[in-house]
Amino acid sequence: MEPVIHIENLWVSISGRDILKGVNLEVPRNVVFAIMGPSGSGKSTLLRALNRILDLYEGLAVRGKVVVDGIDVYNSKTDPSVVRRTIGMVFQIPNPIPNMSIYDNVALGPKINKLVRSRAELDELVKWALEKAYLWDEVKDRLNSPASKLSGGQQQRLCIARALAMKPKVLLMDEPTSNLDTVATAKIEELIVELKKEVTVLIVTHNPFQASRVSDYVAFMYDGQIIETGPTGQIFTRPRNKLTEKYITGKFG
Amino acid sequence: MRRALSLKRFLDVFKLISITNFILISSVVLVVLVLFATSLPIVLRDGVSPLIHSIWNPVSEEYGFLFALGGTVVTASLALAISLALSIGLAAVYAEYIPDKLRPVVKNFMDLAASIPSVIYGLWGLKVLSPVLRSYVMEPLVSLGLSPYLGHPSPTGTSLFSAAVLLAVMVTPLSSSIIRERLVSIPMHIREALYSLGLMKTEVVLLELKYIRRSILTAMAVSYSRAVGETAAVAMVVGNVVNPYFFKIFRPGYTISSLIADQYPNAEAYYYMVPALFYAALVLFFISLAVNFLLLKSGERT
Repeated sequence: MEPVIHIENLWVSISGRDILKGVNLEVPRNVVFAIMGPSGSGKSTLLRALNRILDLYEGLAVRGKVVVDGIDVYNSKTDPSVVRRTIGMVFQIPNPIPNMSIYDNVALGPKINKLVRSRAELDELVKWALEKAYLWDEVKDRLNSPASKLSGGQQQRLCIARALAMKPKVLLMDEPTSNLDTVATAKIEELIVELKKEVTVLIVTHNPFQASRVSDYVAFMYDGQIIETGPTGQIFTRPRNKLTEKYITGKFG
Repeated sequence: MRRALSLKRFLDVFKLISITNFILISSVVLVVLVLFATSLPIVLRDGVSPLIHSIWNPVSEEYGFLFALGGTVVTASLALAISLALSIGLAAVYAEYIPDKLRPVVKNFMDLAASIPSVIYGLWGLKVLSPVLRSYVMEPLVSLGLSPYLGHPSPTGTSLFSAAVLLAVMVTPLSSSIIRERLVSIPMHIREALYSLGLMKTEVVLLELKYIRRSILTAMAVSYSRAVGETAAVAMVVGNVVNPYFFKIFRPGYTISSLIADQYPNAEAYYYMVPALFYAALVLFFISLAVNFLLLKSGERT
């Protein structure tokens, strides 16, 4: 099957510093694909390059080719907001819009991008997204209370619901559990595995154990390059590269 | 031992705060008392009638200053509206549209504009702004037949309208910087969240403005009280004419502060003019207080 993400020789530098140094990657549809690696290896930058959130940073230079769900992301004719509508994103810090209600946080994207035609349709979509994010039962009686009242784990699931409400083809997750406790983390990991029915999940993590728990495929990144990639089982049992082996056995990272 | 020390420190800090607060509050109370005591003769003689009449005739000792009250409210409100649009626009452009390298230049320029003495704004308003507004705004609108509503401009262009525009120009640097500082302090992860939903830049900016609406209200409160109280510059461009039709903004008029500045030098020659001017000042004080209170209250609720 045609891969949903295709990255070819991607170079990214920010303010003259090379962050990604020729990344090549293919991600098949409806899988959880983990990118692991030590801090500063360029994982987050790679993720942010896919939906052009990197455009927000000054001094950015990008070379190479990125195709996501048939969209040539860095084509000069491509509108970054179209790319971002196809690719949802969940961040390291749970970031619901604090002064907005739970409902409005989820409804924001579909409403502004006019994905729904009626209030009823929007209600339906919000409910669907919250259910998919395992949050509906906890918040259905207080959809109008501010998102900031939720716990950290709930806020992160709200962010997942917010991304899902856009019906994206790909969901990027940038260390989504690094600010959460173990219980909230377990719930989110369970959710991630479930999510691949809806979308392709690309998750960045600095924790190899998390990668082994949730992913079907995994890539190991080091110093702006992908060192090794393959099915998760294979990478964790028979890594071909010495660096990968050192990393997954906890010798550095 | 440690505990005793920290308790002592706490008490010291508490004392300091109490004393400064006491000085602050008592000075405000004193100001009100002086204003009230000095205006007492006219309050006793006329009650609230100076607030609802526009007959200012020192010879017959009649001091209705509704025209000045109206002038203040009209100029300050119009200034607030203009300045709000300008400050939000400038702040949004600063925060979202110009490159990082240009920011210090723009910022310094705006801070400099905030520190220009108001009398210099007044000179500029008198010599440049008023004639320009007269030729390019007031005259064209009058020729469209709006003079029954807005009045006829004076030959020099001095008018309530010119005063309002000048006030807007004067208060914008400060109010814009309040909004600007808050806009640039919106955390990157909130901005990323908005952009990641596929929103356009203008949509993001609008949501960010909604997010910081409390700071916008603060900026409005600061602007309004400055506009209401500004004296020197306004006195130079407002015309200083008793204008009972203060809503005809193309005409010259008075504001309370320009009335006080303009009339006080010869006030001592009359029995009731000093009390009347103090009465006007008292009203000015309460307008400013009320507006601040209302804006800050509405900021709390939302």
